[in-house]
Amino acid sequence: MSKPSASHVAALNRRNFMTGTVSAAAAVPLLGSQAKTQEVTQSGARLREPVVTTLRINKQRHELSLDPRTSLLDALRDHAGLTGTKKGCDHGQCGACTVLVDGKRVLSCLSFAVMNDGKDVTTIEGLASSDGKLHPMQQAFIDHDAFQCGYCTPGQIMSAIGCVNEGHAESENDIREYMSGNICRCAAYPNIVAAVLQARGETRGA
Amino acid sequence: MDAAAPRPKENQGEPLPRVDARLKVTGQAHYPADLPAANIAYGALATSSIARGKVTKLRLDDARAVPGLLDIVTYGDMDKVDKPKFGNSGATSIGPLHDRTIFHDGQIIALAVAETFEAAEEAAQLIRAEYEEDRPTASFDSPGTKTVAAAGKSPMFKEDVKAGDFDAAFAAAAVKIDQRYSTPTQHHNPIELFSTTAYWQGDQLVVHEPSQNVTGWKVELARQLKMDPANVRIVSPFIGGAFGSKGPMTPRTAIVAVAAKRLGRPVRCVTSRMQAFGTQTYRAETRHRIRIGAGKDGRITAFAHEGWEVTSRPDLYVVGGTSATGRMYGYGSVLTHVSLVQADRNTPGYMRSPPETPYVYALENAMDEMAVALGMDPVEFRRINEPKTEPIGKKPFSSRSLIQCYDQAAEAFGWARRDPKIGAMRDGDWLIGMGCATAIYPTAVAPCAARVRLTVDGDVRLQCGSHEIGTGVRTVAGQMASERLGVAIDKISVEMGDSSLPPAPVSGGSISTASVCSAVLKACDAIRTKLFAAATAEGGPLAGSHNEEFELADGKIVAKSGASTKVEDVLKAMQVGAIEEYAEFAPKGATPEALKKLYAGTPEFHGGEQDEDSVKYAFGAEFVEVRINRYTKEIRVPRIVGAFAAGRIMNTRTARSQLMGGMIWGIGQALHEATEVDRRYARYVNRDLQDYLVPVNADIKDLQVILVPEIDHAVNPAGVKGLGELGNVGTAAAVASAVYHATGKRIRDLPIRIEQLLA
Repeated sequence: MSKPSASHVAALNRRNFMTGTVSAAAAVPLLGSQAKTQEVTQSGARLREPVVTTLRINKQRHELSLDPRTSLLDALRDHAGLTGTKKGCDHGQCGACTVLVDGKRVLSCLSFAVMNDGKDVTTIEGLASSDGKLHPMQQAFIDHDAFQCGYCTPGQIMSAIGCVNEGHAESENDIREYMSGNICRCAAYPNIVAAVLQARGETRGA
Repeated sequence: MDAAAPRPKENQGEPLPRVDARLKVTGQAHYPADLPAANIAYGALATSSIARGKVTKLRLDDARAVPGLLDIVTYGDMDKVDKPKFGNSGATSIGPLHDRTIFHDGQIIALAVAETFEAAEEAAQLIRAEYEEDRPTASFDSPGTKTVAAAGKSPMFKEDVKAGDFDAAFAAAAVKIDQRYSTPTQHHNPIELFSTTAYWQGDQLVVHEPSQNVTGWKVELARQLKMDPANVRIVSPFIGGAFGSKGPMTPRTAIVAVAAKRLGRPVRCVTSRMQAFGTQTYRAETRHRIRIGAGKDGRITAFAHEGWEVTSRPDLYVVGGTSATGRMYGYGSVLTHVSLVQADRNTPGYMRSPPETPYVYALENAMDEMAVALGMDPVEFRRINEPKTEPIGKKPFSSRSLIQCYDQAAEAFGWARRDPKIGAMRDGDWLIGMGCATAIYPTAVAPCAARVRLTVDGDVRLQCGSHEIGTGVRTVAGQMASERLGVAIDKISVEMGDSSLPPAPVSGGSISTASVCSAVLKACDAIRTKLFAAATAEGGPLAGSHNEEFELADGKIVAKSGASTKVEDVLKAMQVGAIEEYAEFAPKGATPEALKKLYAGTPEFHGGEQDEDSVKYAFGAEFVEVRINRYTKEIRVPRIVGAFAAGRIMNTRTARSQLMGGMIWGIGQALHEATEVDRRYARYVNRDLQDYLVPVNADIKDLQVILVPEIDHAVNPAGVKGLGELGNVGTAAAVASAVYHATGKRIRDLPIRIEQLLA
């Protein structure tokens, strides 16, 4: 049997898909189309068959053979070896796993890797230039001590870049609001706002 | 200068950026679950769905049928391993796979191990247990709880402090209050998930796990696995938030180690956020009764604090904050009592300022009530009751800058502009309230070892088995070495978070900076002594001078006379490539066994209330403004000011950040955080970050930290008081007082939510 390619399952929503796999016989997952539902549920075994997925991560092509249930987050961490992106809840509630997909911020724990086939993914490891010069947002986080333990920091920085590029960093109140999807349990919030303010000008062009 | 890097005042160190800052902003700081291990297998926990009873049968067939499943570790598989012990290194005495008894909801019943994370999760969810179920007891007021006195029952709690004749003084007091307060269940919820990665190299076990206590865990894990501690290594180079949750080791660690041994492969188990609520520790709910009596002049004559705390059936964990509240002010008489209420719950544990957060909340809310009853300004009320000696043992304070903190914070906050009348201050539809409270935290210190090496190239390597949980301890340890050895911070490498390093005490109780810096100081001074001796030896470049007349700066030994010589040249003359010193620091008053206990992972704490000469505390004062919408009762905290005095500040940047984080934690305690317990099933309900509310960026606006200069040579050689836990003490009471000022409603049960103001 040939391995399915990512396009077969790319329309799946991760939460529904998980429900489907746990009780595949009982529940019909809510999928994009009825035909796809049939295809998936008729052969439970195929659910677990590796799918070859191509991701362009930090401008490098990665061809990964993945269990189709693999989240983009776990694909980055466990398969591409890029552990800078962090798992804090696996439920899209903390923001630690934020990456940029085609330039937009995405919670990588809420997205199957296969849904991102062929897309451009930028992680924290891809921000500094090859000569080691930090992205202005990274430098601003250092300047303003915008972290303590550092665990939420990759997600905060990726989210901050997304926030600026969305045009949601025009005021301090905007920054607070649009950075509130990223929890910092050490509570460096005022410093994070100061960092985004410092870096927003340079980030827009970066 | 920007707010994050306050200009140092007297006895305060430079706001250097964190030495690990670049690693943290580039994704190169490797937390334990990031550390690579070849050919890794993934583990997922299955947990109980009842809180009390017995597992009669486990059905594993469906789980075993999952493709990629490698192993299931469950009952019977841990029989050759000793049960966990409850104590500083162990979270609970419950050995979940040693016994089919269920003590709490969410107790581990099996570990599924598979080739992939996805397969392990699938298998774990297919494990089905059958139970013989008993009706569980959830919390206070549930039928079937057992209440015991903490003193005499738990080794964790020394005594119910008291002084004078409370009953007589209270009966005679002109003005008095008698009120009850409560705080809810709370979970630390560090953003890093709890995880264990274990692998074996022959008979050597290596565990990557976020830990605040690598030495203690090494010893405790070796005990459980019946191994020589020398063959166990705990690696935890970066910790993604701890707040006490990673202080004691939980039973999962040994289970994953056993799984790795059975498979002959590394096993990594990352606990889900939901499972963490039942498999880790938490802050248990507390209740308080406070009675205060005073004369019409505002002088307190009688203070009584009774506390009740929930704990598990098997383990008598105690918070016991009366030790601090009983010494806070110049009370005429003191009566305290702490009781433990045992229920069918997992064992609670340390959570940021464990005793002080709930107990001082109750005291400070009561102090505000008392100020109202007296018709006094709450700051003046505290000023009047400022003690000369602490009321229990009549010992002096080694230093106490509380009034300076109140004065500086009040000035910065604009307290003088507060109209004391209830509801008098408004801004459109928003009622404005202002409140204040005292922060206090005991200053303790523990034995600690460190190795420092100064090379002929001018590099310094500093090794200490402490833990970088976000406090900046790597940075301040490096600063101490930089200062004593005259070497720039970027020439210093600091290694921490590994049990193969010189042992440090558990990073808890705000002791790390004081303990680690005292050990580093000792090692550096031993290097200085050797250098100075060589430089002043006959024929040496500074022959004839005395040791005490030197300083080290910019790679040179500089004599008072102005004569100097390069450190490099002295080392060359000594014909050595480096000087390395291993220092073992033991605090004043340490027992003869103190260092042995450090290596055994059971370090002695000194300071706080325990020393003969004085009691040792750090103090602070916090002022908050709340705004409450007159229609919706939405509560906001647009402004908070805290002033803190904590002896020598090693680095104003990291100190401010810790205090700021603490103050925001305090706002969370006041308005957000509570784990809801389903009383029917003794089960936590809101087991995720969507429903367990913590402050987010939009909850915080204007926050100011003032570092009040203070010098205290009595606390420890470094002169440092801890401040990691000081900032969130008292904050919730300040918020409650501000809510009262705005609305006239005294909320005594945390958290303060809209529904309480609508009632």
